[in-house]
Amino acid sequence: MTARMADFHTSWIEAPKLERLMDLENGRMSRLVFQHGGLYEQELERIFARCWLFVAHDSQIPKAGDYITTYMGQDNVIIVRQKDGSVKGFLNSCPHRGNKVCFADAGNARQFICNYHGWSFAIDGRLKGMHASEAFDSTGFDPAGHGLHPVAQIDSYRGLIFATLDPHAPPLAEYLGDMRYYLDAVFDMDGEGTEFVGGCVKSVIRCNWKLAAENFVGDALHAGWTHDSGARAMVGEGVGELHKNPQQSYQVNFNGHGWEFNQDIIGNCASLGDKELVKYLYALQPHVAGRLDEFRSRMIGSISSCTLFPNTSFLPGQNTFRTWHPRGPQEIEVHIWTFVNKSAPPDIKERWRKGSMLTFSPSGVFEMDDGENWEYATRTNEGYLTRQQDLYIGLGGNTRVYDTGLPGNVHQGQVNEANQRAFYQRWLDLMGSASWAEVPQRDVPAEASV
Amino acid sequence: MNASCAAADSAVDITLHHRITQFLYREARLLDGECWDDWLALMADDIHYWMPMPENRRRADSMKAYEAGRGALFDDGLLDLSRRVARFKQPSAWAEDPPTRHVHVVSGVEAFHAAAGEYIVHSTFVNYRSRGERDNDSLVGRRQDLLRVHANDFQLARRTIYITQSVLLAKNLNTFL
Repeated sequence: MTARMADFHTSWIEAPKLERLMDLENGRMSRLVFQHGGLYEQELERIFARCWLFVAHDSQIPKAGDYITTYMGQDNVIIVRQKDGSVKGFLNSCPHRGNKVCFADAGNARQFICNYHGWSFAIDGRLKGMHASEAFDSTGFDPAGHGLHPVAQIDSYRGLIFATLDPHAPPLAEYLGDMRYYLDAVFDMDGEGTEFVGGCVKSVIRCNWKLAAENFVGDALHAGWTHDSGARAMVGEGVGELHKNPQQSYQVNFNGHGWEFNQDIIGNCASLGDKELVKYLYALQPHVAGRLDEFRSRMIGSISSCTLFPNTSFLPGQNTFRTWHPRGPQEIEVHIWTFVNKSAPPDIKERWRKGSMLTFSPSGVFEMDDGENWEYATRTNEGYLTRQQDLYIGLGGNTRVYDTGLPGNVHQGQVNEANQRAFYQRWLDLMGSASWAEVPQRDVPAEASV
Repeated sequence: MNASCAAADSAVDITLHHRITQFLYREARLLDGECWDDWLALMADDIHYWMPMPENRRRADSMKAYEAGRGALFDDGLLDLSRRVARFKQPSAWAEDPPTRHVHVVSGVEAFHAAAGEYIVHSTFVNYRSRGERDNDSLVGRRQDLLRVHANDFQLARRTIYITQSVLLAKNLNTFL
């Protein structure tokens, strides 16, 4: 027996009507996508129960039994390292009466035992036993088939572990597509990979999840204005005028993922106000150029930001990595980590941990101003007439370039809204498709990314 | 939370206790009034100002809720604190204009002798902030300070702040605690 949400929703909003929410070619979109409760329910099904979502970094669970708990959409999941070194993920809910089986954020376990009736699950999800098991035995109960519910697929790229709740989702490599070429510039600089240092900082922002995701997918524009105070505090001057040098900067996107960046090597890193980190990246850059290529070596800590569709974002150089977990149309839970090169000296790792927290945590001098913007870009739409006013999303409408040889859809100039438009196009494609098979294939991978 | 405590027989006398309490109340009033530079002047040059984010860990785990070297909302020296103050003072600190209204309530003060001229001081706090029309956030916690005698007054040489929320139920933390 399986009762699917879709069976009880006669009102999914399908493609012809959905398309009235976006006129991306003309740079217009509706605010209803931030407000509408029905669209949010549909997002839980068609975005969050379908896409590959970041769930853990390899370094968080090095040993068998190491686990973390996190969210996929609003589904709480346990991600746990197996004895054979593989990783499994399960819904954090007992199949008997539904209670949470793991209440810790992280740890090491030989089993997960439910507090309610003592059902005990091995780290591979199998039901091992329970309190008063004789009572079950006498009724012919078969423990097989009563394990923790597994995620449909789990895979990783450069130490980043992703999972999907949809058995029909395309492979992770295909889902990330051309973004893998760029991810290597940050998560595989020297062939040694990255690790997360310190724990997770969590906070709540009363905003729609897409406002956070679209900010990191391509909003270089806000940096110079929103973060003027933070930049002056950290380095004594404002953010540079990023729009004045479009020849040295780009937006690229693929399958709704997007990265805006320039070629200044250390621009983001410099905002941490720590010369040792800048020196570290400058020293590393020629090696990265030799290993990957000159172009990507100039991205390793440059002024840039990235979102992997739908809700995972990071900042190269500032080394903050985060997920925006939806909690209804008007709230998110933000999970924040610091990532560093595994091969970096301990002192450098510690400087990055402190620097990223000082700038990009809820008390950080940059992040403080973001939350305020996203909350009020969400909450103004409580106004009945306000929510029916379209928004502008048309910056950089004619910036697509075809002759760079770079993978993905490339746009000249990082001060642009091309990636935001691609993000919302992907959102529209997924929201209007009843299955993965129906999702339009807009982006063709370049050979260079393989 | 940190239950460790200096022995009761090293408690300071009532006069000193009064002076220490007045120092903490004054500090709270400076923060409520956004007197950032005056507040910063209370910090010793070697200040370590630390507020770890607690994690939910099982009792049997060797890793506890509050651990050094992990995620923290503050893990600051004097330069870090002065950078935070510099942001609050920028005319372009948009999220501070109109200003947030703060009250820092300090209570449960206990003070003990430490090394010569230094005191370990425990206290509890409530920070209540209101912003705009209906933004109201509160944060409750316990602090352990190291106060040092300085020019007929005190300076703060170390502060550890233990908050209760493992998910900060607010978009930011735009004050000191």
